[in-house]
Amino acid sequence: MVSGWLLALAALLLLAGLGQRFAFVLAGLLVELLGLGLVAYRYRSLQRGTQ
Amino acid sequence: MNLAVCLLCIILVPLATAGLALIHQGLGRSRSAAHAMLATLCALGVTAIVFVLIGFSWAGYPGDLSHTAQLAGKHFDWLGNEPFFAAGLSSSLLKGPYAALVLALQMFAVGLASLIPISAGSDRWRLASICASSALLAGIVFPLFAHWVWGAGWLAQLTPLFGLPSFTDAGGAGVIQVVGGLTALSVAWILGPRQGKYSDQVATAIPGHNIVLVLFGCLLALIGWIGLDSAASMLFHGAASVQVIVIAINAMLSASGGCLAAVFITQLRYRKPDASLSANGWIAGLVAGSAGCGLISPIATIFIGIVAGTLVTFLVETLELKLLIDDPGGAISVHLGAGLWGLVAFGIFGPTTGSRAALLLAQLVGIATLLGIMLPLIHIGNLLLNKFVHFRVDADGDWQGMDICELGAGAYPEFVVHADEFVPR
Repeated sequence: MVSGWLLALAALLLLAGLGQRFAFVLAGLLVELLGLGLVAYRYRSLQRGTQ
Repeated sequence: MNLAVCLLCIILVPLATAGLALIHQGLGRSRSAAHAMLATLCALGVTAIVFVLIGFSWAGYPGDLSHTAQLAGKHFDWLGNEPFFAAGLSSSLLKGPYAALVLALQMFAVGLASLIPISAGSDRWRLASICASSALLAGIVFPLFAHWVWGAGWLAQLTPLFGLPSFTDAGGAGVIQVVGGLTALSVAWILGPRQGKYSDQVATAIPGHNIVLVLFGCLLALIGWIGLDSAASMLFHGAASVQVIVIAINAMLSASGGCLAAVFITQLRYRKPDASLSANGWIAGLVAGSAGCGLISPIATIFIGIVAGTLVTFLVETLELKLLIDDPGGAISVHLGAGLWGLVAFGIFGPTTGSRAALLLAQLVGIATLLGIMLPLIHIGNLLLNKFVHFRVDADGDWQGMDICELGAGAYPEFVVHADEFVPR
């Protein structure tokens, strides 16, 4: 999730075009959502095991 | 800024906390009702003390001293630098009431944020750990993001830094609701589901115990939300006091849109409107509408509310059935889900003089920061706290209920059936 944010921040720092920035910030958000999904999946498995 | 109007709006904010407290305890079980209300009071107390002593110095306010970091030749304002223990308050009062008003509003705002995880941890979260987690929220998490958005931090300075419009969160959809919702998600993950919630791999419905209190809480929350949105808009976005009227209209419209959408969707899906989901739709409308309160047209606000109410009905089900997250009050869906939608919606419908894509991009940067920095920070903080102050009550407490386990007495003693009343006389 942190790497997704770093990708978004790097896009703002290094790129000038609005379209490019938009694409890379969206990519950063997707990386964050992937991380969120993985954490959610891990906790889902844990909670299945405890019940 | 009209001091009297701003002060009046700030004084209304505790009504939002009262509303949320009633909603949360009504959606929980009767055997934990007193515990839920006491936890609310304790969380409000802890957050107020910790925020005034520590948090406010890091949250700061626009025009105040701050810590900056240099990155690629740009100065990032990342933390406030007020004296600890609100020591600078008396000297700042000499210049005007602004700093004191900001402190008062943020003190109530962080209290409101601390109530959100209490709902997600209902029926199994111990009082001591609720206080510890609230202190973490008020001392570190909330001040950090509040400074970035409301304290002229780097998210409020996207224009000089990157040539984008500022990230806008006029009423606290991100600063209060999403931060609270992320904490609720973290707490729900750490605590795990209530005993019996997922027996035999099937989710069991555990209904709330007092839906009348829940619906009354919605009405109280509306008044508090109008105060919160108005005060934040005046203090951090320079809204004129007459704009309070537009903010009040928009708050009512977004709540109405959310509630009616939830009523309609649940009627369609379950053949009867679901009162608890409709109440969640009402709050979701308020949450989503608060990102652009007073800055967005009434028709767009109604649409934002409708989408928020619809979203919540599906999110509650997804979290419960697909992700196995036991959130008794639906707090994660309402505050996190609708809060994020509200922030995106401001990018779509918010006023702009430049490019619409640039405004949307600024909002997405704020959302990326919430998910990419704030969630890991909150979750690591809560995981560490869980090592020292164990979050979850033991198995006996889970069955007895938190009232008997932690307080030694139930909320409704008259409800107890005494066997001797049935003995023939």
